[in-house]
Amino acid sequence: MIANVKDKAVIVGIGNTTFSKDSGVSELSLAVQAVKAAIDDAGLKPSDIDGMATFTMDNNDEIEVARALGVGELTFYGRSHYGGGAATSCLHQATMAIATGMAETVVVYRALNGRSGHRFSGGVAGDITTADAIHWGWYMPYGLLTPASWVAMFTQRWMHNTGVSKDALFEVAHSTRVYGANNPAAFFYGRNFDRAEYDAARMIADPLQLFDCCQESDGGSAVIVTTPERARDLKQPGVSVLGVAQCAADNQEQMTSFYREEFAGIPEMETAAKNVYAMSGLSVDDIDAAVIYDAFSPIVLWQLEAWGFCGYGESGDFVKDGALRTDGRLPTNTHGGQLSEAYIHGVNGIVEATRLVRGTSVNQPAKTVNHALVTSGVGIPTGGAILGKMD
Amino acid sequence: MTTDEQKAIESEIYAFIGQEVYPPTPAADDINEAMIRQWAEIMGDNNPAYLDKDWAAKSIRGTTISPPAMMYVWGQEGFQVTKGRALNAMSNLVSVFDKHGYTGVLGTNVKQEYFKEVNPGDNVTIEMIIDNISERKTTGRGTGYFFETLSTFTDQRGEKVGTQRFKVLKFIPQEQPSAVATEDKLDVPTRIASPRGHDNKWWWEACDDGKVLIQRCKSCQTLRHPPRPMCGECQSMEWDSIESTLDGEILSHTEIHHPKIPGYQYPLVCAVIKLAEGTNFVANIIGCSPSEVHIGMKVKGVLEQVDEKTMLPQFYPA
Amino acid sequence: MKEYKTLTRAEVAVGDKLPNADIDITTGLVVCGALATRDFEPVHHSKAAAQAVGLPDVFMNILTSQGLMTRFATDWSGPDAVVKSVDLRLGAPNIPGMLMTVSGEVTALDKDSGLVDLAVTGENNIWGMHMQGTVQLTLPKES
Ligand SMILES: [Zn+2]
Repeated sequence: MIANVKDKAVIVGIGNTTFSKDSGVSELSLAVQAVKAAIDDAGLKPSDIDGMATFTMDNNDEIEVARALGVGELTFYGRSHYGGGAATSCLHQATMAIATGMAETVVVYRALNGRSGHRFSGGVAGDITTADAIHWGWYMPYGLLTPASWVAMFTQRWMHNTGVSKDALFEVAHSTRVYGANNPAAFFYGRNFDRAEYDAARMIADPLQLFDCCQESDGGSAVIVTTPERARDLKQPGVSVLGVAQCAADNQEQMTSFYREEFAGIPEMETAAKNVYAMSGLSVDDIDAAVIYDAFSPIVLWQLEAWGFCGYGESGDFVKDGALRTDGRLPTNTHGGQLSEAYIHGVNGIVEATRLVRGTSVNQPAKTVNHALVTSGVGIPTGGAILGKMD
Repeated sequence: MTTDEQKAIESEIYAFIGQEVYPPTPAADDINEAMIRQWAEIMGDNNPAYLDKDWAAKSIRGTTISPPAMMYVWGQEGFQVTKGRALNAMSNLVSVFDKHGYTGVLGTNVKQEYFKEVNPGDNVTIEMIIDNISERKTTGRGTGYFFETLSTFTDQRGEKVGTQRFKVLKFIPQEQPSAVATEDKLDVPTRIASPRGHDNKWWWEACDDGKVLIQRCKSCQTLRHPPRPMCGECQSMEWDSIESTLDGEILSHTEIHHPKIPGYQYPLVCAVIKLAEGTNFVANIIGCSPSEVHIGMKVKGVLEQVDEKTMLPQFYPA
Repeated sequence: MKEYKTLTRAEVAVGDKLPNADIDITTGLVVCGALATRDFEPVHHSKAAAQAVGLPDVFMNILTSQGLMTRFATDWSGPDAVVKSVDLRLGAPNIPGMLMTVSGEVTALDKDSGLVDLAVTGENNIWGMHMQGTVQLTLPKES
């Protein structure tokens, strides 16, 4: 069965806070700033919001955000799990709520002090009290504690299976940072970056070096989603959700699906891609630009394969001639991505994908972007969406 | 209330106030570039005021300076301290404390003030006295006294370069570690242990007892790792376990470089291993250089005590 | 010749944050730091000696902590600043394998004399506060 969500929900507002390494304010302050910016962008009032979707990892309760903003009544609030895997899952929640009439105007938000507060790079050490404590317990005594180390384990095997070299990882790291260097909001704004610096950077967990890893950032991002009817009266051109899906595949674990027969693959994203294409009636050839979740450089390559831009193990060849650059086949992470703009758990990516369709990216490709892909983090239950111009 | 014990120690220690630890002693070496360079390299300090003569000549100072934080360095005793220090007022004071049971020692504060900058070629003289001893204090570490030394530094012209005040707590060590303040915790770090719940406790307890087990469905005999309450093949909740031979082959690996966590031994290699029984298992690879570890490598596991608290299977090249 | 910028007193305000510095505490830094400061106490170069006083490994000597604290301050201020004092409270030991993050903030500024107070903290990722205190330095009127 193909879910019937095409053109049922439209992104009408986007907002980011300033991104920094030390915001000096609370996460709640970042959340309300981002949501307010998105409401203003849409030309709405806080009281127009009746639904909210965020991450289970977000520390800002919907009711606190609502109270601080003066939103009033909420008739929908839903949270999505699995870290960065929740990015487009929040959009999925918002779309379902709007398509079913549970809410009319939903804000998706994520705000964190990811550098000055809790740092993910510190890993899962410490007094974990969450339900998945036992899961991490199989790795902690061995020192396999950080997202970089889990992704490194996966990458090592994937490179072994496919023969893809670090040239491909560098191309992802480099193309993204060139975009970031041109984005005043990005951490990498105005910075030069070359292969020598990439190669000389500290090893984190081999084969991943420093510049294969994303930023750790303080900041917030939000998008406003509403019905097509409402969207038509608002100040921005509507950006329609043409398809959105989430998937947890067989034998899935969080970041460590090491017990699969072949663990160097992301079958959950292949399923999500298949379903998004079916919902939207589009194929890979229709995708003009993309925002692909980039906590680490290699995960962009796996997703290119999962979404069918090339076959398994062929992403190295796909990117090597500049496919991800602004004049390439698939301009990707034009805001600088999480590698060089900021790490807002992928919601800044939904903001950028919306800009690509509106035609307002700071690195807008010359060609018309009719359809932009945006994805969630992988190695975990994940998903993605295709956005397009509202009819 | 002043006890006899307190009267006894105080009558001895307060006599040290004002006593000289080091009489004025010129440093064996004049301030020199070689020692500054070594210091700056190790501190990672690229301040051109210390070593870049061309830059310094055109700077507001007109010349290079010694790093201020090296003030105390110039007059330090040399390597002979590894064989013991000469007796002086401070070591005598410490002996008095020790004799009365105040054997604990903790440097708590150090303050340096700099009155003038000094340059290569200058010579620094140090003079140190015991400047004051506090009244008896109760601290998180235990009951004791703070004593403070005052060092005064002068150059070869007799001009005052700076001072250093160093405060030390001598205390009776407490027996109950629960009263120790957080910042004073001195536990030897061990590896981070897995939490133990209903579904995994039995596995870790077997590991503590010297066995690596693999959970097995009693109904369909399917092995599963990590353990979970139900068989995904036949939905049976009945299970037992078999002992692994710990023969395996590496499916993937990574060497952890950053961040380094206390309690772990680096270099640290983690790997996903396919055990001969068919289940995958994550563990460390030891007994060879990290560069020798590769996918397809045959390994053999041994249960080892890796630190004071932790038993773990460790895998060696087979 | 390489150019170095020194902050002027007009460019600084109370509340300004210094950029954090992450310092890997390695055996090399501990042992070589002790050597560079001519501190030959065995606890700073011999693991056995350190363990005899109840610590798991060699630990950083005070003179190295002072050096790192002044470096942190002058990395921010630039080379024309004159360091006037370093006052630090000592906390938990720095042991190889730890990561110390040094942070700082301008807490006082006298525009006439250029005297600046910096509150500086070095925290390691395992035991917390290693050093905390004040660095005072004077900044030039103009660069
Ligand atoms: Zn079964």
